[in-house]
Amino acid sequence: MKTDLEIANLSIGYPNKTIASSINISTNSGQLIALIGRNGDGKSTLLKTLAGVHPPLSGDFRFRGQPVLTISSSERAKLLSIVTTYKMMLEHVCVRDFIAFGRYPYTNWLGVTSEQDDSLVEQAIELCGIASFSDRHYEELSDGEKQRVHIARAIAQQGELILLDEPTTHLDLINKIELLKLLKSLVQDHGKTVIFSTHMVEHALRIADEVWMIREGVVHHASPSELVKDELFRETFSSNAVQFDPASGSFRMI
Amino acid sequence: MPKKHRVFYLLLLLSAAGLFLLDIFIGSVHIPFQEVVRVLVGGQSQKETWDIIILQSRLPQSLAAVLCGAALSVSGLKMQTLFKNPLAGPYILGISSGGALGVALFIMGAGALGFSMGDLSLNSSLGIALSSILGSVSILSLLIVVIRRLNDIMTVLILGVMIGSVITALIGLIQFFSYEADLKTFVMWTMGDLSAVTGNQLLILFPVVVFGLIASFMLSKPLNSYLLGETYATSIGVNINRSRMLIIIITSILTGSVTAFCGPIGFIGIVIPHMARFLAKTYDHRILIPLSILLGMNVLLLADILSQLPQLNFNLPINSITSLIGIPVIIWIIFKNKRMASIN
Repeated sequence: MKTDLEIANLSIGYPNKTIASSINISTNSGQLIALIGRNGDGKSTLLKTLAGVHPPLSGDFRFRGQPVLTISSSERAKLLSIVTTYKMMLEHVCVRDFIAFGRYPYTNWLGVTSEQDDSLVEQAIELCGIASFSDRHYEELSDGEKQRVHIARAIAQQGELILLDEPTTHLDLINKIELLKLLKSLVQDHGKTVIFSTHMVEHALRIADEVWMIREGVVHHASPSELVKDELFRETFSSNAVQFDPASGSFRMI
Repeated sequence: MPKKHRVFYLLLLLSAAGLFLLDIFIGSVHIPFQEVVRVLVGGQSQKETWDIIILQSRLPQSLAAVLCGAALSVSGLKMQTLFKNPLAGPYILGISSGGALGVALFIMGAGALGFSMGDLSLNSSLGIALSSILGSVSILSLLIVVIRRLNDIMTVLILGVMIGSVITALIGLIQFFSYEADLKTFVMWTMGDLSAVTGNQLLILFPVVVFGLIASFMLSKPLNSYLLGETYATSIGVNINRSRMLIIIITSILTGSVTAFCGPIGFIGIVIPHMARFLAKTYDHRILIPLSILLGMNVLLLADILSQLPQLNFNLPINSITSLIGIPVIIWIIFKNKRMASIN
């Protein structure tokens, strides 16, 4: 394994508010990374900053040696893709066309897709198991179906790094588990590096290769087994109502 | 391209050609249809006055309707996509208000300096055109500065509406202190007037509009990506700042030039893009832009015909006709959006 994700002295936030600073992380390729933290700790801001759609306050982020934050948006789009929680109001867009938006960086000036583009869209549809509704319109889909369609779009984009902001939101338990298995398969079978933020801490600890935890402006990173032993982890996710039990690896209500 | 869209293009093209001929045929002076056709194909009619009426009055007016309809429709489509707002139109950024302020200063300012616009008839159209373009460009320059500082499209939209209100207030003040004759000239300009367009003006308007329409079509790819929102558009490789600037500049050129020569013509820019989406059932600007061009031509030619029906001894203001066509469609848009919001 080689180191392919390097974050150096990165500060994230807004001009008048720093959310997290001095973020320094190096990670090997082909990892499933879970990003956890409490509401408002900056998970979405970190993901958007890494994706280059939100400006950093300072610092550098390199993926496979490429300076992600300074290369052109077109080059960046071939390197990574992001799935956010942003709700879209789209009319007359069929699922297949939506996924084809992922081919944007590869198409000509008029956006005409080639046979290869169409084939990659079909592969993404197969991989995400959405063939049964790939001819329907986007606005007709349930939130869970839309989530899978967004992931298919990110896969069609062929970035080696995929960032997902709370991808399991809106999904029922079975769909949540299936989606996490899909993310795992993207890493294991397709060599992608996946970073996803989540509030499903138990599932994240079971499935992720590495966990990044944001707390009070600091990003801690460790393997799941190391992280649960850390007092900071228990402090972050314990309250008068709930506590984490390291022995069972689950939360219990008090 | 799906067969359905090809059929739409063909039908609309044929209907635009038919309306174009009808628009030239109709007028207060009756000219036989075969004489109209003869003059249009380069021949001479039975009366010299008919040749003059057709070539110097009716043909420029119909060509102006074609160019204005196409330009305003495409401008509206781009604004609605850029601002993700179904009621956005070419006037939303205050650019045409800037044009109106330029024209108000020219017409009524000339009066204040002791000139009457009646005396300036030879130069007035050129002056109006230049002052409108200067006014539009001034507001556009202001907006470009703002866009560079504020990376938020909604703020720009609100600012555009505010600029429009401030300019309306300024124009009101200018009107208050102006002479009656100049006030009338300005009010006539605000009503929109395709018949004022001359052959020489068309020599400027035609290449500018054609350039704007081609450039708009070339922006189809980034325009499609804007439907996903700016964050996603950036993430799939769109250079948001550059494409947004290009969309605004080209829209300003189209709107500014048309407004300068024909006055502010409302509702076409809002209504036609909705008609195009309704007909084609697509989001794709590669289909919507040509369809909006054809629909815009048809609707403005129809409005022009209605404004000068033979039974009328005078021309109705074109803006009144476009408003009568446009307002029911806007009410339909509002109800449709409420339904969509309740479904979601």
